[in-house]
Amino acid sequence: MSHRVFTVLVGGKAGEGIKKAAQVIGKIAVANNYNVFQTDDYQSLIKGGHNFSLVSLGKDPIYCTYKKANIVISFDKRSVSQHKQDIAPNGLHFCDDTDSHGTECVGLPLLRLMKEHYGNQGNMSLASVAIFCAVLGIPLKIMKDTIKKEFRRYVPENMAFAEAVYSTVKEKGISYLLEFELTNSCSSELYTGNQMIALGAWVAGMDCYFSYPMTPASSILHYLALKQSDLGVTTVHAESELAAANMAIGACFAGKRAAVGSSGGGIALMQEAFSLAGMVEAPLLFILSSRPGPATGVSTYTAQEDLYFALNQGHGEFPRIVASPDCLERAFSLTAELMQLAWASQSPAILLTEKHLSESMANVKIPDLSLQEYTFQEQEDREYWRYRINQSGVSALKFPGSDNCSEDDVIKWNSNEHLESGVRTDDPECIINMKEKRMRKSDTIYKLSKANKRVEIYGSGNILVFAYGSTALELREALKYYNFTLIVPIYLDPFPKEELALYRECEAIVVEHSSKPNFARFLKEQLELKVKANILRYDGRHFSPEELITAIKEAEDA
Amino acid sequence: MRSLKSLKENTWCIGCGNFGIFAAFRKCIQSLVDEGYSLADIVITSGIGCHGKIFDYLDISGVYGLHGRALATAQGIKIANPKLHVISFGGDGDSMGEGLEHTLFAAKRNMDITLILHNNGNYGLTTGQASPLSNIGFKGISTPNGNVERPFNAVNLLIEAGASFVARAYSANIDHLSHILHKAIIHRGFSFVEVLQPCVSYNNTYELFNNNCMILDTLPTDKAHARSLASDPDVFYLGVFHEQQLPVYHESIAIQSTSMTLAQRIQFIHNNK
Repeated sequence: MSHRVFTVLVGGKAGEGIKKAAQVIGKIAVANNYNVFQTDDYQSLIKGGHNFSLVSLGKDPIYCTYKKANIVISFDKRSVSQHKQDIAPNGLHFCDDTDSHGTECVGLPLLRLMKEHYGNQGNMSLASVAIFCAVLGIPLKIMKDTIKKEFRRYVPENMAFAEAVYSTVKEKGISYLLEFELTNSCSSELYTGNQMIALGAWVAGMDCYFSYPMTPASSILHYLALKQSDLGVTTVHAESELAAANMAIGACFAGKRAAVGSSGGGIALMQEAFSLAGMVEAPLLFILSSRPGPATGVSTYTAQEDLYFALNQGHGEFPRIVASPDCLERAFSLTAELMQLAWASQSPAILLTEKHLSESMANVKIPDLSLQEYTFQEQEDREYWRYRINQSGVSALKFPGSDNCSEDDVIKWNSNEHLESGVRTDDPECIINMKEKRMRKSDTIYKLSKANKRVEIYGSGNILVFAYGSTALELREALKYYNFTLIVPIYLDPFPKEELALYRECEAIVVEHSSKPNFARFLKEQLELKVKANILRYDGRHFSPEELITAIKEAEDA
Repeated sequence: MRSLKSLKENTWCIGCGNFGIFAAFRKCIQSLVDEGYSLADIVITSGIGCHGKIFDYLDISGVYGLHGRALATAQGIKIANPKLHVISFGGDGDSMGEGLEHTLFAAKRNMDITLILHNNGNYGLTTGQASPLSNIGFKGISTPNGNVERPFNAVNLLIEAGASFVARAYSANIDHLSHILHKAIIHRGFSFVEVLQPCVSYNNTYELFNNNCMILDTLPTDKAHARSLASDPDVFYLGVFHEQQLPVYHESIAIQSTSMTLAQRIQFIHNNK
């Protein structure tokens, strides 16, 4: 089925640079005008075990990696035996010639060449870059230039080793003729989902990012920490998630745009602060990148178990925004929108995503954005009160500091129920008035969010398939081979009821990465959807297009 | 200068040590304003408990935060706007129990803010449970047979954590407390002031402190001397135990935020990949 796509699988032990090699293969492919999608399958360990990375490339945009590879490159015996089942028809499996005995693999003298060129410690992963380039006929110069740029240590040794592997493959006369032609149309760059999220928050004005590492959200912290001077984003690795979230609320109080990020466990620790953001009306962006739970769960794999956790985040009642990006471009634009919407409504927002989007890489064209402006003026002739009651529920913001306010302004944010002035109250009438003021922001958020793309529809087949988040990526790749209508709510709260009204009480298939059909339950609640079948996956792995098409066809016939 | 007292009805118990802290703090802020500080640049945070009510009684900007987290919020404020003078009020449950991590890390970072610890030796507002600073044998409603845990020594803990200013004062000695608070707030770096505070309802220590407090005339010679004075079993020494100049957090990180527009930011991404 994958006639328009070419897939490379690189497998071996953790610490051998497999991920990096796959990224470099991706970069070379993008530089040669292929579209690329890259995923890493790795475990929570630093050395040893078994990791593999997949790179799928093609003429058309690629939304997910394929699991049957046209070339497999294995760096150890375990990989050789594990991945022999993952070779596409007419595919090739490469390995070191000491591992190839008794297999159908193409043995190459990789260890010998490595010793020759490095002495003992060499960068074996470069062999996969060289094999890829040689097999696809990518010019030697392009390979060498890229390796020089991407691997800064041992440059002469790297170049010599890679060239030797390249020549060995060429000498064997192995080449693969792609059945598609290259175009010059994809002027884009490789990004991970988390990089798109970080940059999306930044274009919407993020000044500070507070976090505590937790896979698969950690690479947002790492990326921003690396870029903080260039971007002007103060990036703080706090002592805990509790510290991060409460610091971020302090930063909002001081007038800075802030975000926090973690996976389910870390967001659970931030939950009380989420509720605080609802009460003090802090416009704080939370990034929740899911992995299989409960508890520590499966650290480095994907899941969508946290849908209701996100929707019900925080104790007590208050409006919030929850939305989930269906692709990497949307991760950029939606994060920016959420930051803007959080400030426009002075409410906490959650960007709900998954490992499959956070840590996957693809070529992305940064979308042009326009964010709606908002202003809330305070009447100049009266005392400033933080929580002035009004129809929209959104009171004017002032920030402390002699650059921002006068000595007579008293700006009080209060975690206790409060009066308009921000001073605590227990008075029953005041409790009702302030609660209703806050809750009125739900309507305001709904109206403001209408300016954004809240639902995306792909395909045009008779069968209706609902999904959200990165599951939509998997389904879009399947759509290339089998037509159905894919309906993807981007905004989950506020629920885009107008856009989805035509699907009320329709029959549909729902696809999600959880053991319970949570998203299906949500759609039943919101749209009275008649769920014909649930396609559930909860092994932490993504669907390949083949797997999805089979599952959808089975669901149709059932 | 406008009054620093809000119109909020005061509900501390008659004789509560918090009144002394409230008075000393206002006196201190008054003196800072007299020296040229702007009230617009002074920001407070508080945790939850009897101490936290000071937030409502003071007519000063700030965040009435979560139990234990007010010092994290204070740090976020300082990081976001280093021009602000940020003072955090914490109870012994807040700062030494639920939020101890933030206390230790604010000291470790030398965050340029002030923590005022209202140490009344119990949880007053929740009707008298043992706190992390309660003595062995303290009989509260959660420890009816007497507390079996040894208390932290707040001064020593903060010296060990690396706080660059550590002091102790007594809520009933308003002039001395106000003087110590003033020193703490103008100190560059993390300043910690433990205030011994009687709780008239559940841990009335007026007689103990009135008879056994002694003001230090000079700074202890070194940390070991400071620690031995702070843990004296018979005398409650008051004053500055430790003072040191160290690099402050916001200057060490020093990231300048950008004023680029949305379009400029998108262009920047295109140009800098």
